[in-house]
Amino acid sequence: MSCGNPTVETDALMPRKKKYDKTNECVRCKTSLGNIVIRHAVYCKECFFPLVTFKFRRALEPFVNAKPDGPRRTALKPKGNLLVGFSGGLGSTVLLDLVYRCYVSMDKSTMPAEGGKQHPRHERVWKKVSVCYVEVCDIFPGMKDRTPEVAQLVAQHDGLEFIPLRIQDAFDSSWWARAHSSPGRIDLGVDLTNEELFLNSVPSSTSSTPLESLRTFLASLPTATAMSSTINSLIRLLLLHTALDTGSSHLVLGSSLTSLAVSLISGVSQGRGFNVKEEMQEEWFPDRAPEPSSQREKRTGKGERSVRVIRPLRDVGRKECAAWAWWSGLRVLGRETWPWPGLKQDIGTLTKNFIFGLEKDYPSTVSTIVRTCTKVAPKGEASGICVLCARPIQAGIQEWKSRISIRSRSPGDAIDEKTPVGPSLASHLCYACHTTLTSTSSRPAPPFDATVTKSSLVALPVWVPPQFSEKEELFRTQKMGQEKMRNVVQDFLLDE
Amino acid sequence: MPPRNCALCHEARAILKRPKTGQQICRDCFFWVFETEVHNTITEAGLFKPGDRVAIGASGGKDSTVLAHVMKTLNDRYQYGLELFLLSIDEGITGYRDDSLETVKRNQQQYDMPLKILSYDELYGWTMDAIVSQVGKRNNCTFCGVFRRQALDRGASALHVDHIVTGHNADDIAETVLMNIMRGDIARLGRCTMICTQGEDTIKRSKPFKYAYEKEIVMYAYFKKLDYFSTECIYSPDAYRGHARAFLKDLEAARPSAIIDIIHSGEAFEVKEEIRATQKQQQTCKRCGYMSSNDLCKACTLLEGLERGIANAAITDRARKKLDAEGPAPENLRTIPFYQPSSTPNPALPVTIEGAHN
Ligand code: SF4
Ligand SMILES: [Zn+2]
Ligand SMILES: [Zn+2]
Ligand SMILES: [Zn+2]
Ligand SMILES: [Zn+2]
Repeated sequence: MSCGNPTVETDALMPRKKKYDKTNECVRCKTSLGNIVIRHAVYCKECFFPLVTFKFRRALEPFVNAKPDGPRRTALKPKGNLLVGFSGGLGSTVLLDLVYRCYVSMDKSTMPAEGGKQHPRHERVWKKVSVCYVEVCDIFPGMKDRTPEVAQLVAQHDGLEFIPLRIQDAFDSSWWARAHSSPGRIDLGVDLTNEELFLNSVPSSTSSTPLESLRTFLASLPTATAMSSTINSLIRLLLLHTALDTGSSHLVLGSSLTSLAVSLISGVSQGRGFNVKEEMQEEWFPDRAPEPSSQREKRTGKGERSVRVIRPLRDVGRKECAAWAWWSGLRVLGRETWPWPGLKQDIGTLTKNFIFGLEKDYPSTVSTIVRTCTKVAPKGEASGICVLCARPIQAGIQEWKSRISIRSRSPGDAIDEKTPVGPSLASHLCYACHTTLTSTSSRPAPPFDATVTKSSLVALPVWVPPQFSEKEELFRTQKMGQEKMRNVVQDFLLDE
Repeated sequence: MPPRNCALCHEARAILKRPKTGQQICRDCFFWVFETEVHNTITEAGLFKPGDRVAIGASGGKDSTVLAHVMKTLNDRYQYGLELFLLSIDEGITGYRDDSLETVKRNQQQYDMPLKILSYDELYGWTMDAIVSQVGKRNNCTFCGVFRRQALDRGASALHVDHIVTGHNADDIAETVLMNIMRGDIARLGRCTMICTQGEDTIKRSKPFKYAYEKEIVMYAYFKKLDYFSTECIYSPDAYRGHARAFLKDLEAARPSAIIDIIHSGEAFEVKEEIRATQKQQQTCKRCGYMSSNDLCKACTLLEGLERGIANAAITDRARKKLDAEGPAPENLRTIPFYQPSSTPNPALPVTIEGAHN
């Protein structure tokens, strides 16, 4: 509409930054002078620590036991160990500190006051706590390897196991073999030049290193956003598989309230609306084949392996994390910025800048975003699990896409006659992953390294092929079919 | 670069790059694909049935000008069997509406559609100019939005139409999805991606352009040589929405599918059952009969505030309390004519369709 403001039907204007109450007194103890303002309320330093610890426990502990069982007095008995996903950033530094104080060193000051010494909270919860760091520096030439620094930082905490990974492990069959004690394959490739994303086998003769496979994959992606969200998704999957490998029932991530709000908005902007729930908290069942949810429920047995992903700092803002780190004297390594101009065109980065800016003028924005997202649920049936990101696929998305944005004038036109019609990856992907692999921009991603070239057939991450062989996917039968056909016709073929 | 063939017909030379998909296509294929997508949207949602009387909310801007053209085209091509009307709201903003109402009047002639113009002044006794002079430029769009919505319904009821179609495009909807998440407006978040909404007994409203990119609407107008007014309202929208809009433009530049992807996200979730249960039930306004979630509808509350000089009464709870504290509304308060959504003409509002047929 011409007013340029057609959708105004609002009565809810955003509250602007408010001045906190005139008094400088801490709202909790009402005696000390305040040291920090958290969303309009003033706290003193002494009251700040219990507040953050309380928020941390409140977001984590109700989800420790396999079945949430009402009264919070019951002992915490997780099914397995704990894995901490560590990035070096502020949030994960605070997370590591809190996990260590509350569950490893059993720091008295973090214990709930009620219940005395006999309180079940005073026992060690997880038998083993591991910390996993995924180094991405090999993607970008000249980027610093932070692994030694991270190793040193983790080593300052007794009783933590350190697991350093590299992002290229996602394309490393030997990493897979180590983590799963089953042979890994990266022999399945996808044609990224066609929207159908046809699958094909990657000839074993083209033996490239895991790093080469990774870099070719990234270089062949259509946009900067695709590259950046693929890296994040690979890290997530590496962490999940590592959790499985370490017998962890829980994976904790250091997303603060602020970064959770960023990832929610960024996810929505990339078509991840169906997975808003998972973005906040999810449980991954690795043994469930990617098939419709109705069939899946039946197979849910007792001894089934699963990893629960929890973000215990989801109620703690960026500013509170910074105060925690500062007052506790924590060393924050910080995350290395990728030396890549593509970040300027990355939806994740754009969202981060937008939300950080908004938070200054409208401080309640981030908590509102997160609160809104807890009030929505995915609509409709899931038709399976995405083979790339392991999240539920909404039913009917391919039809939706082709109806909303017509890409050919006649059905079947999209498929070029020259292209061999093989099995396609498209129907095994969620909306966002399909968009990541196919959606283009007039501004293609700037190269992260001029020496890496695009390829029309790129190998898929190491967790993708097993999902197809388990399903007796068309892919195999098709290869058989070709051979069979030759057997049938060969008597009629003339010698050349 | 050598001339490229159209990615859709493979015959004609491609002359444009489609903002929505990036495909390089010819002009005819652009018209075809744009119109067919709108047709798909209409048929998939089952928006109309033959014989429906449908009003096009016409502002003279690009969206509604193109909408009028496309609705007429599709109605003829696919024999929807619709009776189409133009319905315009005059907000009373000096120098802004005057020109665009001329566009609407021209459309009325070109497409031979009856036109009804309804002004805020005639319905509420207040023009936007007068409102702004009282409330300032901060909440003016709130007044304007609430008043426009009710004015459209009333205009539609005066025209006896069952359905209003508006020119909301994909960019508008994506922006609203983001806004509603950021403001925590759960009720609207659930509603804003719906193609068609219908209150208890109000007229259906739908958005046939909900998947049409703003850039393509401009492109369509350009190639069809449709003229429209792109004057910006002098009372510009609130700053927060401005931020959201700039952000959306950045997203679109980074990856054009972002607009559709956000709408997809909005359609992929719904408000949880237990939260929906706590939302307010709709009722009708005690004063004007329009649908409302309180005793008084928003328009009546805003109007009462204006009349009593407490303009922000419906905007903040505190101001509303102040209004209540000052006692009941005076007897002689100017009010909105009572709303009777029915097939009988509204007696309070004489139907004066501007002469299209004479
Ligand atoms: S910008 Fe605001 S005041 Fe102007 S026409 Fe639009 S809604 Fe009304
Ligand atoms: Zn205190
Ligand atoms: Zn996915
Ligand atoms: Zn063409
Ligand atoms: Zn009313």
